[in-house]
Amino acid sequence: MTSKTSNIIWRIVDLIVGGIFIYAGVIKVLDPVQFANDIDNYKMLPWFVSVCLALYLPWLEIFCGLAVIFQFLYRGGLSILTALLAVFIGATIFAKMRGLDITCGCFGHASKNWNFSTHLLVDLLILLAALALFSRVWGAEKS
Amino acid sequence: MKLRAVREGLLLIALACLPAIGEGIYFRDKISWQSPIPASELVTVDQARALGDGAIWVDARPDEEFARDHIPGAFSLNEDRWNELLPQFLPNWSPGKKVVVYCSAESCNAAREVAKRLRDEAQLTDVFVLQGGWEEWLKKK
Amino acid sequence: MKTSILTFTLSIFLCVAARAELKWEQNTIDLHPAMGDKTAVAHFKYQNSGTTPVHFKSVRASCGCTTTQSQKEVVNPGEKGEIVATFNIGDRTGQQVKTVTVQTDDPNPSQATIVLTLKAMIAQAMEVKPAFVYWQSGEEPKAKKIWVKASKDFPAKNITVKSNSPNFESKVEPGSGSGEWTIEVMPKDTSHPMGSALVVQSDYPKDAPKSFSVNVQITPPPPGAPAAPVAIPSASPAGGVKH
Repeated sequence: MTSKTSNIIWRIVDLIVGGIFIYAGVIKVLDPVQFANDIDNYKMLPWFVSVCLALYLPWLEIFCGLAVIFQFLYRGGLSILTALLAVFIGATIFAKMRGLDITCGCFGHASKNWNFSTHLLVDLLILLAALALFSRVWGAEKS
Repeated sequence: MKLRAVREGLLLIALACLPAIGEGIYFRDKISWQSPIPASELVTVDQARALGDGAIWVDARPDEEFARDHIPGAFSLNEDRWNELLPQFLPNWSPGKKVVVYCSAESCNAAREVAKRLRDEAQLTDVFVLQGGWEEWLKKK
Repeated sequence: MKTSILTFTLSIFLCVAARAELKWEQNTIDLHPAMGDKTAVAHFKYQNSGTTPVHFKSVRASCGCTTTQSQKEVVNPGEKGEIVATFNIGDRTGQQVKTVTVQTDDPNPSQATIVLTLKAMIAQAMEVKPAFVYWQSGEEPKAKKIWVKASKDFPAKNITVKSNSPNFESKVEPGSGSGEWTIEVMPKDTSHPMGSALVVQSDYPKDAPKSFSVNVQITPPPPGAPAAPVAIPSASPAGGVKH
C-alpha cells in the first residue's frame, strides 16, 4: 500500500471517529435536560453534577471531534475522545452490573432502543478505531 | 509528544467550557439545578400555600392513601382510575387556577405522571408538582 | 505459630467457599399486555448458585401500583424461586417502567441490592386530544376541534359522537388518514358555568364497541371577576372506556 492510499484511509477513519462524536455532541447540546436525565439514570452522581456535565460534555465532544477532523490540536482531541469512550464503556458495564436497565444516552435518542450488547459493540468499535489512530500518530512520531 | 497531547487536551477542555457556560445561561430557567424536574414545573410547599385560593390541589396517590388523609380541599386524581376521576376533577378547575399535584414523597413518580397527563391530554397550563410531596406538607403543617 | 497459619489459611478458605450468590434469569422483563388487561405480571426467576443460604431483607416496588410476592424468605444453596411483580395497569397508557428493589444479605455489596425492572407497553385504543375543552362564562361560543386517532391494533372504521347535554353540539369529520377524525364541538350558550361530556362511540369491537369521553365545560369566570351565582353541576360520570 502506498503511503498516499494509507493516508487517505487514515483520514477516513479520522472523519468517521470525529463525525460520530460531533453527531453525538450536537444531539445532546439540543436537549441538555434529556441528557442530564440520562446521566442521572446511572445513579452515580448528584443531580447538580449531572446537569453541569450535561451542559459541558457535548461541547467537549464536538470540539474534540472537530479537532480530529481538521487536525488542529489533533493529539489532544484524540486523547480526550479515547478517554471519554473508556468512561462511557465503563459506565455502561457498571450500570449493567448493578442491574440498572437504562439508555446510555450516548447518542441521544438514536440509541434509545439499542440493547446492551449492540451498545457495547458500537462503543468498542469506536474505541478500536480511536486506538488505531493513536498508534499511528505515535508510530509517525517515533520514526 | 506526551506533553504536547496533554497541552492540547487541556486547551480543548478549557475551550469547551465557554459554550457550555453560554448554554447554561441560556437554559438557566428551563433546567432545574436541584432536582430532576424542570424548575418551572416545581413548587415548594410555601409557594403553593401562598397561592391561596388560586391553587387547586390534586392528590395523585392511590385511593387508600387519599382516603386515609389528604391536604384539605385536594381532589383525588390517580392513574388507577384516571378515566373516572378526571371528569370529577375538571369542573373544579377554572382558567387562571394553578394546579398543584402531589404524591407521597420526593421520590415518587405519580405526581409527575399525573401532571404530565393533565398538560398533554387535558391541555391545562400552570400544572405544578409539589416538591417533597405529602411528606413535606406534613412537616410544614 | 503453626495454628495461626492454619487459622489464617482456613479463614481464607472459608471466605472463598462460603459464597452466597443469587443468579437471576432476567433483570428486565418486557411485557405487552393485551388491550383491556387489568394487570401485567412479571416473574423474575432466580437460583442460589452459591454455597450458603441467602435471606431476603426487603422487596420494594417503586410505585404503589405494583405489588410483589417473594414467596420465601430464605433461599438455600441450589434452590430456585421467583419474585412475582404484579403491575396494576389501571388507566395508565403508554410505556410504563416500574422497578422492584430487592435487598439480600449477600456479603458482596454489588450483589446485595438488585434492581428488577418491569416494562409494560400499554396500548391505547384511541388517542383523543384534547380530552378537555372549555369556554369561559360569557365567552363567544366558537367551535373547538378535537382530534381522534385509532391505534393500529384498534381498527375502528367509524365513530359517532353523542353529547350528554343539549347545550353542546358536535359534528364528526374524517381526518387526513384512515382511523383519524376531527370532532367539532360548539356550545349554544356560554352564560352559565356547566360541565358535561361528549361520548365518542367507536364501531370496534363489533360485539362490545368501546367508547371514550371528552369533557366539555363552561368554566366560571377567572378568579378576581365576580363569582357566578350558579352552582357548577358535576360532570357526567360517562368518563372512561366502556364496554
